[in-house]
Amino acid sequence: MWLTVVDNNITDGADGIESSISRTGYDRRTFLKTATAGAGLASIAGCLGGGSGGSGSVTLGAMNILSGFASLYGEEAERGYDLAVEEINNNGGIDGNDVEVIVRDTEADSGTATQQMTSLIEEDGVDGLMGLDSSGVAQNIAPQIKQSQMPLMITHAATPYVTSPEGESEDSVGNDYVFRCSNTVAHDMYGAAQVASELDATDWATIGPDYAFGYDTWAYFQAFAEGMGVDANFTTEQYPPLATSDYSAYISSILDADPDAVITPLWGSDLTTFLGQAEDSGWFEQIDHTLFSVGMGTDLPSDGSPLPEGEWASTRYDPFVPDTEENNTFLEAYMEEYDTLPTYNAEGAYRAVYLYKKAIEEGGSTNAGDLVDQFSGMQHTGPVGEYEFTETNQASVASIWGEVTYSDEYESNVLEPVERYEAAPADVRGALEGSDLPPGL
Amino acid sequence: MNPVNIFPLIGVGDVVIGLSLGSRLFLIAVGLSLIFGVLGVLNFAHGALYMLGAYFALSVVTNVVGNFWLAIVVGAIAVGIVGAAIEVVTIRPLYERAESDLDQLIVTFGFVLITHEAVRFIWGSQPYSTPMPDALNFTMSIGGSQFTAYRLFVIIAAALVMVGLWLFIKRTYFGSLVRGTSSDREMASMLGVDVPRLYTAVFFAGSFLAGLGGALAAPMQSIGPNLGEAVIIDAFIIVVIGGLGSLSGAFVGAMFVGMMQSIVPQFFDAGSIAVPFLAMVIVLLLKPEGLFGGIGE
Repeated sequence: MWLTVVDNNITDGADGIESSISRTGYDRRTFLKTATAGAGLASIAGCLGGGSGGSGSVTLGAMNILSGFASLYGEEAERGYDLAVEEINNNGGIDGNDVEVIVRDTEADSGTATQQMTSLIEEDGVDGLMGLDSSGVAQNIAPQIKQSQMPLMITHAATPYVTSPEGESEDSVGNDYVFRCSNTVAHDMYGAAQVASELDATDWATIGPDYAFGYDTWAYFQAFAEGMGVDANFTTEQYPPLATSDYSAYISSILDADPDAVITPLWGSDLTTFLGQAEDSGWFEQIDHTLFSVGMGTDLPSDGSPLPEGEWASTRYDPFVPDTEENNTFLEAYMEEYDTLPTYNAEGAYRAVYLYKKAIEEGGSTNAGDLVDQFSGMQHTGPVGEYEFTETNQASVASIWGEVTYSDEYESNVLEPVERYEAAPADVRGALEGSDLPPGL
Repeated sequence: MNPVNIFPLIGVGDVVIGLSLGSRLFLIAVGLSLIFGVLGVLNFAHGALYMLGAYFALSVVTNVVGNFWLAIVVGAIAVGIVGAAIEVVTIRPLYERAESDLDQLIVTFGFVLITHEAVRFIWGSQPYSTPMPDALNFTMSIGGSQFTAYRLFVIIAAALVMVGLWLFIKRTYFGSLVRGTSSDREMASMLGVDVPRLYTAVFFAGSFLAGLGGALAAPMQSIGPNLGEAVIIDAFIIVVIGGLGSLSGAFVGAMFVGMMQSIVPQFFDAGSIAVPFLAMVIVLLLKPEGLFGGIGE
């Protein structure tokens, strides 16, 4: 096209501007790792405000994603921690001591999370840990939590394998020190199968992110549907990579298979991108029901492309259900502070601080062993409702699904009507019997 | 293992999707290729500039005038100015250094991090979306598949960019200066070409194209702080496939990858993340200099 250089004489002909090519050895992996690390460092630099907890205070260490692809998760969690800390410290603290939360960035990376965990324990001397958004990170860090003998209260990561006791399945890493106050993929799909049983849909498909979460969602959905006797055929699967900018080809593949209903665990900006492109492709005219398992997630823009009304979505916490004093108080305080509806990530983080408060006050100690003893089988009531920790250290919270509608008052999607499916451990385990999937509760 | 669908059908709709994917990839890659071809700078910040184009367009649409067409122009020009400023202030002093390649990489990579944090600071981490222009916000059926007119418009826009750039480089006086300087900078300088200014102009043009790509993509996908990271890898892969510094190579490479990305999901349930890399491996094995490239020294 442009020119070639022949002995420094310029001649037209070949297609390209030639130039010397430097070989830097800078490959994709290095680029991404450095980019993430760099962005993470920049974020961490902003998060090191707190010092270690001295005597007379309770210090908790939080590990969330504060940079990169899913940084909004960490930012939402920080809101929850901050609100809980402010409330607790304004109301006598924990046994009279102030509580402090040090939030660190995992960068959604297991290695970084491990370093942060070690730093929080050894340098900051935290009394307990909480947080974690990424299932992959949670799964990798759980054995190290056990080694460090420090309690961890997971507030978001949803893989059932971290509350499935070691040995239950090949990937199970549950142990005495790892607890979770939020719900899991198993909870979520238990509810999804109940929704499926009520819908006039037989042929089901999925489109989910190309990593464990996408595959696990579909596996659990199928297992529960079969275990609960739902009349369903499972047809097409599509697993586009994270951060896909154009879903057209995947949408086309699903539409070609013409299922009655689709369950999708796409989340965050991927879900936003998918929604617009699905709408343009006639998805919602052709497919009768779409179930968004992370549809009421942290990061759907309230004013951008809300979920289509009349479809189904799940959440791990609904701001309006249950209609209890705890939930209404939290909703009011959160709205006053942040002028937006609380997300499940904020609620999980908020509740984790209160769980530590309860454990420390009831056990009279911040000793790790005492905290673990207190958390084991603990009964608690928070904004999400009443629940207790099962023998696998998983909170027995409900599975929440509802029909999507838009609230002008809150300028956001809300679920109305909303259904809470009490996912009793015995029922969940029974429904999974015969499958090789661990219930994780 | 991914189960293979037994009777996949590649229809007209899939071809249109492939062209659409390829057009978006071309708009991402062409500026990167231009800057490398002329300046020899591997601009890691290209993805960040693309992201800025989307954010600038978003801001114009939502906060300023609400006119999408103006948003595209403003977004592209604003990003061009940012790119030119980056070149003048930070890259220009590095041209004469012995280790300039590495220094340029580090500097442009620094801008990736700075831009990412700046975007989070200004716009926050939440994803945004911007509406399509009303004039193109209707659907058409092609080969049994439904497409918005806007998607077809982007295909045409990419083709126009290709033709326009080609004519500009081949048929204009400025284009001949660009070609001459890219071949022999010292000779061009001795003949009176203001090389530093020309380099800045080319960096402006490459950045403008990145901004244009981002602004055009804004109504088709969510806009978040990771947008730049997501596209830079594809851009690098495409310029390697097409041949570093080749305009036609960027176009053909982008269309090739776009078509593969359209077709692979019709056969496989997963693994399409490997498509651009697979294409690059195939091209590098058969033609190491890229489809349209000469062998660099």
